[in-house]
Amino acid sequence: MSLVNTYPTRLYNFLIEIGDLSHFAIRYFKEVFKGPYETSELIKQCYIIGNRSLFLVGVTGFILGLVFTLQSRPTLLEFGAASWMPSMVSISIVREIGPVVIALICAGKIGSGIGAELGSMRVTEQIDAMEVSGTNPFKYLVVTRITATTLMLPLLVIFGDTIALIGSSLVEYSKGGVSFTLYFNKVIKALSFGDILPATIKTFFFGFVIGLVGCYKGYHCKKGTLGVGEASNIAVVYASMLLFIVDFIAVFISDIFFEI
Amino acid sequence: MEASSKNKVRLGIFVITGTILLVIVLYLIGNRQNIFSNTIKINAHFTHVNGLQLGNNVRYSGIDIGTVHAIKIESDTLLFVEMMLKEHMGNYLKKNAVATIGSDGLVGNMIINIIPREGVSPLVTSGDTIASYSRISTDNMMTTLNATNQNLALLSADLLKITAEILNGDGTIASLLNDKQLSDDIKTTMKNLKTSSNHIATMTHEISTTLERIDMEHSVAGVLLADSIQGQKVKTIIKNVEIASQDIQKVSATLDTVMTRISNNKGAMHHLTMNENFTKDIDSTMQSIKEGTAKFNENMEALQHSIFFRGYFKKIEKEALKRKNRDLKN
Repeated sequence: MSLVNTYPTRLYNFLIEIGDLSHFAIRYFKEVFKGPYETSELIKQCYIIGNRSLFLVGVTGFILGLVFTLQSRPTLLEFGAASWMPSMVSISIVREIGPVVIALICAGKIGSGIGAELGSMRVTEQIDAMEVSGTNPFKYLVVTRITATTLMLPLLVIFGDTIALIGSSLVEYSKGGVSFTLYFNKVIKALSFGDILPATIKTFFFGFVIGLVGCYKGYHCKKGTLGVGEASNIAVVYASMLLFIVDFIAVFISDIFFEI
Repeated sequence: MEASSKNKVRLGIFVITGTILLVIVLYLIGNRQNIFSNTIKINAHFTHVNGLQLGNNVRYSGIDIGTVHAIKIESDTLLFVEMMLKEHMGNYLKKNAVATIGSDGLVGNMIINIIPREGVSPLVTSGDTIASYSRISTDNMMTTLNATNQNLALLSADLLKITAEILNGDGTIASLLNDKQLSDDIKTTMKNLKTSSNHIATMTHEISTTLERIDMEHSVAGVLLADSIQGQKVKTIIKNVEIASQDIQKVSATLDTVMTRISNNKGAMHHLTMNENFTKDIDSTMQSIKEGTAKFNENMEALQHSIFFRGYFKKIEKEALKRKNRDLKN
């Protein structure tokens, strides 16, 4: 009997969660265009989210390109199509693997960070104090962070893709004797606007999702230290799941407009 | 405050670098698709485009010079393809060039190859239409391949029969393959041929050496070899010798006949050469003639001393003496 009651309750809670998240997103859009603008905080968050994540993204991207090329190479060699490696790797990384993997890495680092930070502030009643003191905590804490993730993630993906291609070219250079010039000529020849633009546009949404979920979970953190950990953890899980959903929708729309 | 400024600078570098990377990639891709450069439009008509798509490359003698800009259906059998080429190609591309649709490698994208042709022709201008021809499609190739396969099957069946016959020892080829004696003969022949060839080579070398030694200007052989007039004379001599030899043959044949007749006891010669009694008779006759002649000389001596003939003989002596004196004077 309790099980029968549990599932509708869970569904009810899930729908409430979705509703709250949507409301949170709408509130963000309402606040983001309204003054006063927290520019210095925005820049600070951009620095924390962008610059501080660059090393992690760079290492991840480099290993991604390296491993992807090493794993694909034997199969392509079997078909006598090793010369297609730059085209295949570049299209795969730029279109899909790069944005998704880097977004997941950022969801882990940035999403959890935001969730934990805002959760701590909620637990320690700093957010409440801000509300009492007349400062708009949503504008100061949430809008700046969501905007920063939205703006910084595309840049991180561009860096990540570039470093991944450098890693791939290193493998091609060492294993197949392909020069860097030839490799990147083939990459440019293989890529088109239909590959770059949809991939870049969807990373804005990825950033938005990571920031939104992290802020939402942190902002609505339950009381106690357990709540902070839970907020941080759920932020990563939700953000990761939402990333794939957004990716699916983005690919679906790209297919309509860019004929993938 | 100072740390904040540093962070801002770092953020600025991060943002600018990322944006520049994106812009460079977009520019390179756009440049490849001739978006940022001046272009000319060239058209071609095809009956079949073999899966050609917008944006596929256009190549001129193997160099990428543009992309496919539009593909339209003009009629049920004709397709219109518009190509965007780099503007400077207008300085090289002639109106008599031919466009064909091909594949970039075995599994590559479709491309348009523009092939230049020889001959005088004006340069293309934007909007011109150049000639084209559609290559053999994969279906046609497969059809031809099918026919080839069928022929191959028939050929292999015939080949099987032939090999079976050879294995059974029927026919000339089987004999050639199985007969050891024949093989040995061929080997010997080849060996002999090789020896002969070596001899010929040696002879040729010797002849060559000999010819080199001949003084072509002064020796007889040189004259014979080099002088055409002398050669002609030698030819005539040889011809005459040949005629003489033929005559000698005839004479010897006649002599042979004569000798045969003589041997066969016919005519006087047989008696002269073969009859011993006749020879003895001749000997005794000759003895009688000698004796007769001696007696005749005695009679003539007696006549010179006779009164009737003495004057005549003196006259003859005087004439002889006169002739002798005249010869001495001269």
